Amino acid sequence: MGARFRSWMRTVWRRSRMEREMDAELRFHIESYTHDLMEQGISPQEALRRARLEFGSVEVQKEECRQSLGLRLLDELRADVKYGLRAMRRGPGFTIVAVLTLALGIGANTAIFSVTNAILLRALPVRNSAQLVTLKWSSHQWPQYNSYQNYQDTGGDWDENNPCGYSFSAPFLKRVEQANSFSNVAAWAGAPSLGMGGNGPAINVSGELVSSDFFRTFEVRPAVGRLLQASDNDPSSLAAVVLNYAFWQRAFGGSPSAVGKVIKLNGVPFTIVGVAEPKFTSLTLGGADDLWLPLGMGTRLNPALFTKRIADANSWWLMITGRLKEDITPRQASTELSLVFRNELLAGADPKMGANGAPQILLPSAQAALVGSAGYYKDQLVILLTAAALVLLIGCANIGGLMLARSTARQNEIAVRLALGAHRSRILRQLLTESLVLAILGGVLGLLMAMWAVRGLVAVMAPGAGVVATFDARVLGFTAGASLFSSLLFGIWPALGNARLDLTPALKHRGLSSWLPQRGRRFGFGRLLVVAQAALAVVLLSGAALMLRTLSNLRRVDTGFDAHNLLTFGLDPALAGFDRIGIENLYTHLHQEITGLPGVLSVGHSAMGLLMGGWMSQSLEYLPPGSSKKVKLDMRYLPASGDFFATMNIPLLAGRTFSSADVAIEAAKEQAAASPSASQDPPSNVPVPVVVNQAFVRKYFSGVEPIGQRFGGANGSDEYSPRRSAGYEIVGLVRDVKYTNLRDEFGPTMYVPQPGSEAIFEVRTTTDPSALVPAIRKLVATYSADLPITNIRTQSEEIEAGLQQERLMANLSSLFAAMALGLACLGLYGLLSYEVLQRTRELGIRLALGAPRANLIRNVMWRGLALVFVGIAVGIAGALSEGRLLAKMLYGIKSSDPTTLGLVTLLFIVVALGASFFPARRASHVDPIVALRQE
Amino acid sequence: MAKTVDLLQGTLDLLILKAVSLGPLHGYGILLRIQQISKERLEIQQGSLYPALYRLEHQGWIISEWGESENKRKAKYYRLTVAGRRQLHTEAAKWESMTDIIGGILRTRPEQV
Repeated sequence: MGARFRSWMRTVWRRSRMEREMDAELRFHIESYTHDLMEQGISPQEALRRARLEFGSVEVQKEECRQSLGLRLLDELRADVKYGLRAMRRGPGFTIVAVLTLALGIGANTAIFSVTNAILLRALPVRNSAQLVTLKWSSHQWPQYNSYQNYQDTGGDWDENNPCGYSFSAPFLKRVEQANSFSNVAAWAGAPSLGMGGNGPAINVSGELVSSDFFRTFEVRPAVGRLLQASDNDPSSLAAVVLNYAFWQRAFGGSPSAVGKVIKLNGVPFTIVGVAEPKFTSLTLGGADDLWLPLGMGTRLNPALFTKRIADANSWWLMITGRLKEDITPRQASTELSLVFRNELLAGADPKMGANGAPQILLPSAQAALVGSAGYYKDQLVILLTAAALVLLIGCANIGGLMLARSTARQNEIAVRLALGAHRSRILRQLLTESLVLAILGGVLGLLMAMWAVRGLVAVMAPGAGVVATFDARVLGFTAGASLFSSLLFGIWPALGNARLDLTPALKHRGLSSWLPQRGRRFGFGRLLVVAQAALAVVLLSGAALMLRTLSNLRRVDTGFDAHNLLTFGLDPALAGFDRIGIENLYTHLHQEITGLPGVLSVGHSAMGLLMGGWMSQSLEYLPPGSSKKVKLDMRYLPASGDFFATMNIPLLAGRTFSSADVAIEAAKEQAAASPSASQDPPSNVPVPVVVNQAFVRKYFSGVEPIGQRFGGANGSDEYSPRRSAGYEIVGLVRDVKYTNLRDEFGPTMYVPQPGSEAIFEVRTTTDPSALVPAIRKLVATYSADLPITNIRTQSEEIEAGLQQERLMANLSSLFAAMALGLACLGLYGLLSYEVLQRTRELGIRLALGAPRANLIRNVMWRGLALVFVGIAVGIAGALSEGRLLAKMLYGIKSSDPTTLGLVTLLFIVVALGASFFPARRASHVDPIVALRQE
Repeated sequence: MAKTVDLLQGTLDLLILKAVSLGPLHGYGILLRIQQISKERLEIQQGSLYPALYRLEHQGWIISEWGESENKRKAKYYRLTVAGRRQLHTEAAKWESMTDIIGGILRTRPEQV
């Protein structure tokens, strides 16, 4: 085997030398034989003649020698490729159309696959990830915890009977760290929002709190300095922080002197001890954190929250991943940890569920748990991949049709070769090689197009998510596979048809066959291809139409407030060291000063912005008068200032909004709650004034006068906010508005005054609001240099940003649909042109016999439209079943929307009419004399 | 001249290996030597010699190098490799047992059955 391979390689690489030597060797043989014959007394000429005669054909022998060396297949392949390239040069029009079609199809598929590869098949940026498992709890009952926090999009399942999740309490982490199954255990959670000072102007940064073994578990190495270690968690030690490489580059210019520097996070000093290696960007997508802090330092950043959390078995907030010891299987580890978890939950003074809850710990691989969580992008990617695959299919059908038409032109050539004794399999191989050459050219061009397009694609699909789409072996393999698959798809049928060629009629040159309208098998297949293209194009077109209408529906949706000429920006003064009273004072001053800026009509603020994707919700109880049974009130709530409503143009329908007196009372309550030692202020028995929306009244106070209604009294329903003990009183009623996003239903919503928290400011202007940005920045900076302004943008920009996914789907699906429509019409045009060419003689006779030209036009166009109608029917059936895939993305429209399907049908028919008109006109312009002489 | 017989299928390789086992030879020399040893009773198709040589070399049983012929011409000489010698032995043994068996069968007389 080895000898054969070496010999083969040698001859392949040194082919010309091998050929020369073979030549010399055979010549030597003939000469020697001639010489011997001459010695027997034969004349030189006769000797040479006899030697040559007995030796036989030199060329045949050489060919057999090459075959002995295993070169035959290679030679034939080379000849086929050369022949294929020559054939392509002969028909440059076909070649260009085919290669471009393939390049577009393969390019689109490659680009989207490379993004899929980067998102859904992303490898964790850690070492030896095979032994890493992530803890996931599951049970048959809802565990009784008080607070629960998901890490990014690693959500669990909130199924009532089978809940599961990835977050755990800090006391449970302690037990996991003591477990026998793991050599290292990493735990982490998102840090509260952080303002960073001490390095130029204050900025907002994102951080993660990580356990001391975090980096060791993931086997991450430092790029500079060191990573975190156990002593960093000691509350008495100097607070250490590790930077993300990209953040180090961005904020510190990649300077090694950053290590050792002291920065302030929310006013607390931290020392930069090191920078993580570049490849360790983040564990999940979309979560490139700027820095990592020791878990134990949470108490310094937010003492109230973390002192409680660190010891509380009722707060589940940590992700845990362990590195299995060498000889431990995930199953063994799962058994051990399930036991610990069961003890933790069921035993002890405060059981979290009943014994039949059967809590257990599952250990999915960290890869599956952290990468498989990219659910947000999954639907989009599946739809886009499907659309791209359909475009490629249409392209293949198109090229297949063109090749069928061309193959007729080559029938003579192939018939001659068959007649000369070529094997049919040999012909088949040659034709397939030609397809493959086309596909490889298309594939290479497609790959280049994908490389060019992918950066933009990532930027629009997953902005800021840290997705890096690389063209690794998997993507290249995909491209090669797609090219090979396409070449088979469009090449096999024409090739089979040609290899099966019936010699006699083909060799007779234009025989009887070209006289009659062909209804043979090959012809039927060409028509079938056009039907398939039309059907696939209709599927894509209807998908695109649904996406476009979804986008326009969302843009036209009634938000309930006026989003034009509205500027929003975020402030979190607590990060810069302001206390509640300081914050309230700051807000009052800012309100006055911003209102004084030229072009400003009014200013309001709220804890969250509308249509920014977030929401807060709350459950309260209400005892209707004369009833003994309490009603549960589920609502969303939004802390807002009194002038919020006027600024947003949310009409006040009854009552009033919050006054400065309301705010002062609430501030006093907060103050009292924050320092219980101080004397109890009398206002605590004043109910919180709230403004509710129409949906709230419709659902809970239907038929009664809402103003003055009270609910949520001192029944402990709001244990974390003692100031709420006096309950709530409705003082105002406003119009419904969309809260979280445009797809929101109007739901019961309550607005409350809540002084002294972080806020989004809304500024109503008379003209372009973005012109105000510099003035506002300057204004805020006069109050504190450490106070970062976040997300300053207009409300319209905010809404457009929220439509990013819909816009992307609408744009890309339109692009694909346009490609599909163009290709399908090109296919139809090609088929009809070919048919007209085939029927030239028949058409000529018809004309000569007096057929009106209009009849011929109708005849040809009808042949085309009949195909299109069949295609549309099939396509609509396909579109209806495709609708299920899209249903989740649609808004205000059903996937079976008859108007959309009707419009798509109409559009397709109009374009198809155009595509078939030109061949039809050519048919009617056939000159009978020329047509009859043609044979 | 004795009557020549056609070569049995598959035996050319064996003969070539045997011929070059006696010393390096060029292609034409191999032809001559086989005819000489067989006392001109074997006729080898000249056309089948070279493909066979290339095949044997491809399989690593013989190797070739360029040398000078008796009449001072450059010629390609073939020589047996170690693997080739092994192959020659197995093939020869196979051939002998084959001829034994066939011979035995052919010599069988009716009373022996």
